[in-house]
Amino acid sequence: MRFLPFALCGISMLLTAAEPQPKAFPYAYRQHDFSNGLRLITVPTDYPNVVALYIVVQTGSRNEIEPGKSGFAHFFEHVMFRGTKNTPPDVYEKHLKQMGASSNASTWDDRTIYHTTFSKEDLDLMLRLEADRFRNLSYPEDVFRTEALAVLGEYNKSSADPSEKMNEVLYNTAFDRHTYKHTTIGFLKDIEDMPNQYAYSKVFFDRWYRPEYTTVIVAGDVDDAAVKPAVEKYWGQWPRGAYKAEIPAEPAHGKPRRAHVDWPTETLPMIVVAHRNSGYMDDATDHAALDLIAQLGFSQNSELYRKLVIEEQIADMLGAGNFDNMDPNLFQVTARVKKVEDVPRVEKELLAALDRFRTTAVPPAKLESVKQNLRYSFALKLNNSEAIADTLAHYISLRRTPETINRIFARYAEVTPAEIQRVARKYFIENERTTVTLATKK
Amino acid sequence: MTLRTTLMALVTAASLIAGKTVAQPGKSPLITFRIVFQTGAASDPKGKEGIASLTAAMLADGGSKRMTYQQRIDALFPMAASIGWYVDKEMTTFSAETHVDNLDKFYAILREALLEPGWREDDLRRLKDDMTNALRIGLRGNNDEELGKEVLYATLYKGHPYQHHNLGRAAAIQSITLADLQAFYRARYTAANLTIAVAGGYPSDFVARMEKDFAALPKGTPAAPKLPPPAPLKGRHLVMVEKQTRSVAVSLGFPMTVKRGDPDFVPLLVAQSWLGQHRNSGVRLFDRMREQRGLNYGDYAYIEYFPEGMYRFEPEPNLARRQQIFQIWIRPVQPETAHFALRLGIFEFERIVREGMSEDEVAQTRNFLSKYVNLLTKTKRAELGYAIDSQFYGIPDYNAYLKAALAKLTRDDVNRAIRKHWTPRNMVIVMVGRNTAQLRDAIVSDALSPMKYNSPKPEEILQEDKVVERLKLGIPAANTSIVKAETLFE
Repeated sequence: MRFLPFALCGISMLLTAAEPQPKAFPYAYRQHDFSNGLRLITVPTDYPNVVALYIVVQTGSRNEIEPGKSGFAHFFEHVMFRGTKNTPPDVYEKHLKQMGASSNASTWDDRTIYHTTFSKEDLDLMLRLEADRFRNLSYPEDVFRTEALAVLGEYNKSSADPSEKMNEVLYNTAFDRHTYKHTTIGFLKDIEDMPNQYAYSKVFFDRWYRPEYTTVIVAGDVDDAAVKPAVEKYWGQWPRGAYKAEIPAEPAHGKPRRAHVDWPTETLPMIVVAHRNSGYMDDATDHAALDLIAQLGFSQNSELYRKLVIEEQIADMLGAGNFDNMDPNLFQVTARVKKVEDVPRVEKELLAALDRFRTTAVPPAKLESVKQNLRYSFALKLNNSEAIADTLAHYISLRRTPETINRIFARYAEVTPAEIQRVARKYFIENERTTVTLATKK
Repeated sequence: MTLRTTLMALVTAASLIAGKTVAQPGKSPLITFRIVFQTGAASDPKGKEGIASLTAAMLADGGSKRMTYQQRIDALFPMAASIGWYVDKEMTTFSAETHVDNLDKFYAILREALLEPGWREDDLRRLKDDMTNALRIGLRGNNDEELGKEVLYATLYKGHPYQHHNLGRAAAIQSITLADLQAFYRARYTAANLTIAVAGGYPSDFVARMEKDFAALPKGTPAAPKLPPPAPLKGRHLVMVEKQTRSVAVSLGFPMTVKRGDPDFVPLLVAQSWLGQHRNSGVRLFDRMREQRGLNYGDYAYIEYFPEGMYRFEPEPNLARRQQIFQIWIRPVQPETAHFALRLGIFEFERIVREGMSEDEVAQTRNFLSKYVNLLTKTKRAELGYAIDSQFYGIPDYNAYLKAALAKLTRDDVNRAIRKHWTPRNMVIVMVGRNTAQLRDAIVSDALSPMKYNSPKPEEILQEDKVVERLKLGIPAANTSIVKAETLFE
């Protein structure tokens, strides 16, 4: 699912000024590539007994290039729990129960992640079960059709939340050709048609559930020397695929876009101002600089937050997100406003705050404080094996290696006030802006 | 404040519970705090519902004597730290985490926040808005599932100190003054009500320093409000919340006297886990409702309060209560299947009460829980929280308590506890949706509610449907009400 609009794109590690910079990702990990394209990453941690197994597949709603198939990657995540001939779903569930395991999965724009947390003595069995369903998934059509209804249930359970709707409208407005046009759960009409897509589901599995798109992360109380042969044994014979999707690029729009959502029940008005961003990159500073701007301009200690939320108290939420996407996505600034008549004023303030990054250099001390915030946020996040694997999985979905974390933090360290200004001028362009407002229908 | 009697029975491997301080020294550079006062929304005076939450909010999200709120944000920002707060009926929790690099700077701010509040009018104005918006917009407007659950609690606890929402009532919040908050703070934020919990690689004298600082609070005497039993529930009652929304959210339940530490708690935990372990796909309700029939996204059962279940996989600790409810949560269903889904949920509940669990089901669930409990306490934050809750309930360390009780539990214990405490004939059902009058009429008249499927179903399911579609819920019209969402929590 797409991150909540107010969630920060928190990221980072520990640095002390006087010492050479240690690596952002503090754990000694091992990375292995198997001949079929599968990658394994093992991360021994200090947390005893527990193991977190995260399987990252580099397919998500971005890969849904065919019309009528929006939401399919997420739907397929559900189907993956429908078993194999060797291990029907009730047997899989019985194993999980015996292990006392916690298990789930999530899908987003660029990836699908399957995760299980359990006691270390169950690792071999868990690797075998997961390899079995990734290699031998098998489900009849009636079961497939029933599962499609659970996806509709998932759409329903979120449908009372106006920020979900606003997000749906934002992406539908901001993109014409690129698949980021639809949210991860997909267009409602496509969800309603999912029961009829049994044949396509086989094609989808064949294309994307392949070793070259898959990375296995094993973090916790583990020994790399024992994990590697087990992965080789259960996953080594999984055949490589041949499919590559051409994701259509989004052309420049050349003029600003705008949409409004009439909401049927009581809510507070919201506004989101979005600009096309760079997409995730760690070989140049654009993405890092936009992450820093999100914090500098719109976090709790920004000038604008002070003005709108603390002093004037005309907004009760303010935040910006620059999400880590494979392709250029959106740098979003979102505010929730207490009175509908203040929305135009808040919009002006958001635009002025973005514009100041183009015209005025940020004070170096302020920039340093944001960099420090990102480093400590990251360090505080790594507080158990599951959290370590979860954090890692996000970066693995982008570049398939923990080094991604070290690289993006190196880019943060390099960003200067002048670099912030360059990036603001490059991306905060009126003609590539999409604005969406939402308010209770009068 | 600290009685230096180390209660060896309560000591876990790495934790020391001296008096009411929970200290877990370790090597981690992350220092975790939980500071809990045994007071909460059940202590809100009548007409001022919301005081407990607003007091906590003023401490955590307002300024101190020395610093304005803005100055605090600016000081905490480079440390990526913040002070979290949560108020439940009988507990008020402040939680925080900092890197050991920043421990002194951070602790100075935390200490001031809790011991030297600033009580500023502009903070009060902002936080009153936040709380009323959380009730009117966050809960009532934007989250039908949580709305259904909270209406269930409010209905079951009518006239009881647990009745109002933890955040209070919108109108009452507006009437609260700084003087009200200060009086509540003086009376309730006392040493007698306080538990300090801290974990991580802090210096050896750090806990003593905290205890000395917090000794500045008035001594007080532990005084939990009198808690009458909830009004007896006779028959089945239906509350419909009318709202323009796509689907129908359902919660149902009844009050239960059993809490952690009582002999029947673990047997009921086993039954609840088998029937509907939260966000767990192998359990009975989930399997019959979602996996077999595709009715919705999930279906679960609870014997303890579990707010924000749509966002969390594990419950937040420090929601300890002297009274709990049993609850079934049916996630939103399509309006045309709402009647059937309700019937199926109740059918399954009646079945477990009638037939109990088999030897094998008890054994499997026992095994699951004795391992799953390790995952509940996988973070220091949770470990500290559970340790504090164990003090509240007067039980040993939760993991040890649960494993010991599970080891000696029998199938008879479980089935006897189910029959004794679970009452399918007496319950409140809450449904949030649109055109509720029509649905209410169908339910009251026990009209047939046949299911149509988009694919062939096994004969066993079709046969069962024939029973479920005509299951008599027996809810008299007099036991039903329709309320407009926008009138709730005012």
